[in-house]
Amino acid sequence: MNVHYTELAERPLAPVHGAPFHQWAFPDGTLWTQFLRQGAGYLLRFPDLADFEVSADGRTVQGFPAPGVTSPTVEHLYLNQVLPLALSRQGKLVLHGSAVDIGGQGVAFLGESGRGKSTLAASFATEGTRFLTDDGLLLEWVDGHCMIVPSHPSIRLWEDSQEALVSDSATVAPAVSFTTKSRLLAGPEIAFCQEARPLQCVFFLGEGESEAPTIEALRPAQALIELVKHSFLLDIEARDILMRHFDDLTRLTELPIYFSLDYPRDYRGLPTVRKAIVEHVMKKYVNIAT
Amino acid sequence: MNLSAKVSIPTQVMARTVGDETVILDLASGTYYGLDPVGARMWQLMSEGQPLTAVCDTLLDEYEVTREALEGDILRLTEELRAKGLVSLA
Repeated sequence: MNVHYTELAERPLAPVHGAPFHQWAFPDGTLWTQFLRQGAGYLLRFPDLADFEVSADGRTVQGFPAPGVTSPTVEHLYLNQVLPLALSRQGKLVLHGSAVDIGGQGVAFLGESGRGKSTLAASFATEGTRFLTDDGLLLEWVDGHCMIVPSHPSIRLWEDSQEALVSDSATVAPAVSFTTKSRLLAGPEIAFCQEARPLQCVFFLGEGESEAPTIEALRPAQALIELVKHSFLLDIEARDILMRHFDDLTRLTELPIYFSLDYPRDYRGLPTVRKAIVEHVMKKYVNIAT
Repeated sequence: MNLSAKVSIPTQVMARTVGDETVILDLASGTYYGLDPVGARMWQLMSEGQPLTAVCDTLLDEYEVTREALEGDILRLTEELRAKGLVSLA
């Protein structure tokens, strides 16, 4: 990835000057990330955990752990939160989504936190269908094709998903201090695809109200609104970047590849969900190829 | 508001046409709106800076609708857009 990252020595998180121009909070209101301007660049603060200084062009990031916070914690924050934001500042298209490689085709799952993006990707990967990313879906246009670029070869799962899907022999990254999610490293147990794959299908995950896997096509305007909602954007006030981002997403919606996907959230039902997805993707691909 | 009004689109509002619909993004509030094909066509004509009465004349040629009904639709949409800060009146 085109970001130069350095982790520096721990330091107290000093009081900041001025109000954040943006922030992320959990549904219960707990502050998760503050976005502040610092000179021409940015300071991303994760309270009690770390500061990250991001250069104005998004190409350089320095991580500063808060006192007592471990290096794996800071690396985890960097990979899953800061790196996608820095890439967005470079004008790259990064969405909240996981992706897998089905028969050479890139298939993405987008949805809000908790909708099951990582669980679905892990469900495929533990059955030998390689995953490309578990979040931070990076897209790049190459020779007229929109490609999914593989991200870090690890999947983050809550304990119940891990127990249901992954064998004990899978490699787990060192524990981090802000979540009980484990980060499982790709390997024989969890198949990872290292090559970019053409984006063939995007599924927006529903709330789990359907009694059986249900797939429905989305109109381009619906797809555009969903893509905007699921975008990583570091500087939401930079109009030029936002306009380009909006244009990039509009271009993406010209592809007839957007579907809603809903299914009951029950681990035992995942094989049926995978089957429905694979059949849908293969049928669509055959239709295009012929 | 009446049909002699013209609308302008504030700088924090961006709109893109996808298929036969339009998606409007309000950067100030970070919210998004969709317009159906008829609303999208009204938006397109309004955003060209024509008075609403000219928008109405154009649309009368394109849709089978009475002037009275169409004027009501245009005024309602304009008021809704104005209330959300997506257009301002000139």
